[in-house]
Amino acid sequence: MRFEFTVLDDHERALQAEVRAFLGDVLPRGSFEPGLGMAGRKDPAFSQALAARGWVGMSLPRDYGGGDRPAVERFVVAEELLRWGAPVGHHWIADRQSGPLLAKVGTPEQKARFLPAICRGELSFCIGMSEPDSGSDLASVVTRAVRAEGGWVVNGTKVWTTGAHEHDWMMALVRTSDGRDRHEGLSQLLVDLRAPGVEVRPIPFLDGTSDFNEVVFQDVFVPDADVVGPEGQGWRQIGQELAFERGGPDRWLSTYLVLEQLLREQPALATDPTFGELLGAAVAQFWGLRQLSLSIARTIDRGEQPAVEAALVKEMATRFEQDLLEAVLGFVQSEPAPGSGSLAERLLATAVLTAPSFTIRGGTIEILRTIVAKGLRA
Amino acid sequence: MSSVDPLVSETAARVFGDQATFSAIEQAEADGWAPAMWESVAGTGLPWVSVPAAAGGSGGTLADAVEILRIAGRHGVPLPLAETGILGGWLLAGAGLQLPSGPLTVAPNTPADTVELRDAKVWGHAHRVPWARAVDGIIVLLDGPPRPMVVLVDPADVRIEHAVNLAGEPRDTVHFDDAIPLALAPAGPGVDADALRDRGALARTATMAGALERLAELTLEYTASRRQFGRAVAEFQAVQAHLVHGAQQRELVALALAAAVDASTRGPARFEIAAAKLLADRAATEATRHAHQAHGAIGMTREYPLHHFTRRLWSWRAECGTERAWAREVGTMALTAGADRLYELITGGSDLLDSLAADGGRAHT
Repeated sequence: MRFEFTVLDDHERALQAEVRAFLGDVLPRGSFEPGLGMAGRKDPAFSQALAARGWVGMSLPRDYGGGDRPAVERFVVAEELLRWGAPVGHHWIADRQSGPLLAKVGTPEQKARFLPAICRGELSFCIGMSEPDSGSDLASVVTRAVRAEGGWVVNGTKVWTTGAHEHDWMMALVRTSDGRDRHEGLSQLLVDLRAPGVEVRPIPFLDGTSDFNEVVFQDVFVPDADVVGPEGQGWRQIGQELAFERGGPDRWLSTYLVLEQLLREQPALATDPTFGELLGAAVAQFWGLRQLSLSIARTIDRGEQPAVEAALVKEMATRFEQDLLEAVLGFVQSEPAPGSGSLAERLLATAVLTAPSFTIRGGTIEILRTIVAKGLRA
Repeated sequence: MSSVDPLVSETAARVFGDQATFSAIEQAEADGWAPAMWESVAGTGLPWVSVPAAAGGSGGTLADAVEILRIAGRHGVPLPLAETGILGGWLLAGAGLQLPSGPLTVAPNTPADTVELRDAKVWGHAHRVPWARAVDGIIVLLDGPPRPMVVLVDPADVRIEHAVNLAGEPRDTVHFDDAIPLALAPAGPGVDADALRDRGALARTATMAGALERLAELTLEYTASRRQFGRAVAEFQAVQAHLVHGAQQRELVALALAAAVDASTRGPARFEIAAAKLLADRAATEATRHAHQAHGAIGMTREYPLHHFTRRLWSWRAECGTERAWAREVGTMALTAGADRLYELITGGSDLLDSLAADGGRAHT
């Protein structure tokens, strides 16, 4: 367990200022409907505008259209986008997770095929890990790929795949063989969501939205070229991937805008000392969590894999996202209405309805505790 | 970024490890003072690190001094280290006064304090003064006008009423009755009651960071060795949650402390110190609860060392500003930033507040 203190250098602060100016310019407050952190809307045009600035695929290799830029620079951009509520949905998963995974373990052919389009903000990805009978116990996945001429035939069902109805590709964890150990024989496949045999069915979310999906594979052919890295390495790959996924600002900014917008819309709160205490405590928490998260990005830049540290941060930070929401609700006079004319109310309504997912998505806090405890005891 | 002299860390770890043994801490609590421990520690010069040599200090940086306090907190060292150096030494040296050679203390300016100067003599009462009974000099920072005054008083010239904190460390009441100060001078530039409270909060955050480390270690060791239902209790997920929450608080406060020190080397770090102490106070509440729960009954006994750290954390979280007081303080800073620049406060801290103040100043002229 190692969190080293770090600060942004002048170059990184200049980048921060540049992103702020860009957002103020192309996406001024009030001109768009902000989202809650990484649940920001999908807007391919915005993703492509960001890409034109070099802010999509920042950490990907320059040879494939990326920026070859450090994780800390990506952190700076991600943080600003999320706290602004920017529509990052189109490129988020590709930029954060699928792109870096391909850059790390993909074949040269895969990199050439996918990375430039990811870096242009064009290709979008979703993640196919969970299944109807496999959630936290991910090694129990039963979606199976069977050898065929020139590739694999996939059968099975993935669930909770956010955005599968709109995204282009799925990074799917499937069983390609039966190893002695159940962690062996798993592989990640690139599945074209428009391929024959792929059926995407919506699973309506409790707030009425339908981003959530079930994806059924019926004899879907996946060519050998679309197996990510060496066959059978899926479990190891996921372990590396999660350091990218878990330690970032996605995990503590989901309810930030609720606080900011309430303060903006209800200036009278400024004279309420108990609100002042809530605000102060929240700002201190954001500041502290940000130090931890930034430290993880810096550690990644040193070539290390702070997976335990990332799990520790996510466990704590997602609970904070929920606690902050509950505290803020104490200062709202009536039930927040989803269709309200007030942005603060709309954000609050969405936050109330989606907050339980913060401590579930990307690894439940129970699983994260097990990972951290193992790391502490090692 | 501020770096720490490795020799300082090594010396502190060695001398505190040797001196602050379980029985020595118990004895210090029973006696109200640990003279032999003080002599050993004083011999290394550690209490005066960050105080300029010209004023009688050991030299070195604030970052060095904070590191010493963190290690002291890790070992539960029952000595007025902060009071002698980064608080007392800072006040005296800033006022151009020489440090007396022995331990010092500083009155923490509680709301109940009534100390005042009348015809260059000191009158009134100061409460919760650390180790007043054992030191060679009691320092009080008195409000101006025109400027705050630093007053050094000989303990022999005051009446000291013994009192202790939750950890059994002296927090005495000092009655000044026509006391003639040993020394008296206007405080250094930028030194006032708020600055003293901030510096005290930084010092307490440092010892708290150290104590939180120890809490996490003790809990990890105990739950690995204690067996129930045929296995180590650390194998149970419910117990693991305590380990994780303790480690989270330790890491959060460690980085908050580092950030506060880093900002302090660039100027008055009002925001960073306030936020760090607030997080440390909250961490004390959370981490002590988890550590005790994981330990079960043994942790409630005098014979097991957990209480040397949990009782200190309960005391320190209430000193130099409580969590709630600091939350109000940070809340006021956040209102100054306003909704539009709230996030800039989170990323920019005191630098943003300084630039807002400068803009405000320009706007008024």
